[in-house]
Amino acid sequence: MSVDANTDATSGAGVEDRNDVLLRVRNLDAGYGDLQILTDVDMDVFDGEYVTIVGPNGAGKSTTMKSVFGLTAHMGGSVQFQDEDITGRRPEEIIHVGIGYVPQNDNVFPTLTVEENLEMGAYILDEVPQDAIRAVYDRFPILEERKHQKAGTMSGGQQQMLAMGRALMLDPDLLLLDEPSAGLAPDLVDEMFDKIDEINEAGTAILMVEQNAKEALRRCDRGYVLANGQNRYMDRGSALLEDEQVRQDFLGG
Amino acid sequence: MGIAETYSRGREFAIERPFALVLGVIAAVLLGDLLLGLATGQTQFADIGTLVWDGLMRGLVIGLAGIGLSMTYSILNFANFAHGDYITAGAFSGWATTYLIAGLGRADIGALLLVGAGGSVYGGTIGIGMLSTPLAVVAGIVVAGAFAIALSLGVDRFIFKPVRNEDGITLLITSIGVAFALRYLMQFVFGSDVRGTTAQPPSIGLYLIDGTVFIDAHDITLLVIASGLMIGVHLLLQRTKLGKAMRAMADNQDLALITGIPTERVVRSTWIIGGGLTGIAGYMFILWKGTLGFNDGWLLLLLIFAAVILGGIGSIYGAITGGLVIGLTASMAVLWIPSAFARAAAFVVMIVILLVKPSGLFSGRSTA
Repeated sequence: MSVDANTDATSGAGVEDRNDVLLRVRNLDAGYGDLQILTDVDMDVFDGEYVTIVGPNGAGKSTTMKSVFGLTAHMGGSVQFQDEDITGRRPEEIIHVGIGYVPQNDNVFPTLTVEENLEMGAYILDEVPQDAIRAVYDRFPILEERKHQKAGTMSGGQQQMLAMGRALMLDPDLLLLDEPSAGLAPDLVDEMFDKIDEINEAGTAILMVEQNAKEALRRCDRGYVLANGQNRYMDRGSALLEDEQVRQDFLGG
Repeated sequence: MGIAETYSRGREFAIERPFALVLGVIAAVLLGDLLLGLATGQTQFADIGTLVWDGLMRGLVIGLAGIGLSMTYSILNFANFAHGDYITAGAFSGWATTYLIAGLGRADIGALLLVGAGGSVYGGTIGIGMLSTPLAVVAGIVVAGAFAIALSLGVDRFIFKPVRNEDGITLLITSIGVAFALRYLMQFVFGSDVRGTTAQPPSIGLYLIDGTVFIDAHDITLLVIASGLMIGVHLLLQRTKLGKAMRAMADNQDLALITGIPTERVVRSTWIIGGGLTGIAGYMFILWKGTLGFNDGWLLLLLIFAAVILGGIGSIYGAITGGLVIGLTASMAVLWIPSAFARAAAFVVMIVILLVKPSGLFSGRSTA
């Protein structure tokens, strides 16, 4: 199951022959400044799919996600989204193609109210889309209760929901989630994963980086294991969970 | 029992917050001194009224000029020391316009454009004032705002932008350099003499218990324009898309970029709004005090910094509140101490407030 060549990394779960590819990352080299983090990373996300990236600290999980969103220095390879080449494009261009991104930290505007935060999520539109705000409130009722509250005064879990709501304002086809459960109380972690399931079931593809690897792999369709900035394993989430080598090396036994 | 309890509670308070106790004692002494002065007739109620009014006017100037400084601080993370000279530049450009319109045909055009450099023409002689030459004053206000906008955009484009990604100290020192360059350029062009700019404006006397408080037409002009602009900025920040984007950027620049807020355009809008307010503040400052010199903005800058730091740097409401506190302190301090120390008193009040509330009155609210 270990992969050396890139073609192997993507053929594991028979993904090459699907024709509904949403995001296609090939041979991606990227990093920050002169420092290269990713080497030859391949990754696919299909329409409506739920994909998780797991791996040890410093494996390049978040960097992969940031590279898709144009937040790193591009050093080689390509990123395709819905037949469009978005390699090396900047974030303000990428939000236009239908990708939403929720960073791990500092992902709300603390002195803006909840509603203003959501409005900022649709900044590129001429008018504030009231139906999109309505949809976010329906998905996260707590946000409607607190719509006039300053985001910085809310709990971590509520801020995380607001950050997701903001990223959903443009109704993206693909939502990038960087460690959505980080820093949440255990009972909130489950609720957060349930919300992500709901968003996915409503048709939005998810690409998620998670520290809570076992739970993430249980919930996702497919998982990638990265280490040292390279692809290591790729398979259905349940298959990765059962794989003895993956369990031992990456999931703590 | 009751007395003992009160005593022990008092002692606890004194031990826990000795500083608050000292402040309370000082405030009580000052108030006592003031009441004593009023009782013996040494101080008049009308004097106090005059000082309060004067402080309010001064506070409005400082607050209005402080908004621009606070805005650029919160959005660009940089304390612009050239701000004071933007004030002066706005004032000179606006007053050159006012002189030109008010004095056209009655004095040499060159002398008018140089705002009467070297005593070639006096504002009082031309009879400049809000009521006597309203068109010239309004045109001056508009030009002062427009010129300060052009100046701050130009300086940002050619001087600050190339070093914006350097560390804060580089920007700070650059802005001090800009300040000196602007100031001595203005001294070179307009001369170093302080000139009177306005004729005595008509005023109304308000009777107050034992005397009269005079309020003149320029006070009213300042009050109307400054409060109008402050309300305007408030509505802009709270209600408009641009204003919300400015606050978002002040909160978190990286996130602003991710959400597609055009950050460069917001920076430019910040300079435009901040610059316009600064230029108008410079013009109103001169209209109100009636004299103009090349050092005016620079000298005011220290008080403006005191005001914005006191208010919580980065908050426009803090800048306004801080401006009023500093203005009132600088004016009312003469009730107790010689007027030469009035500016020092403003800084003492700033330090005291910062000791009690180290991050300023409106800390952590950024532009909101």
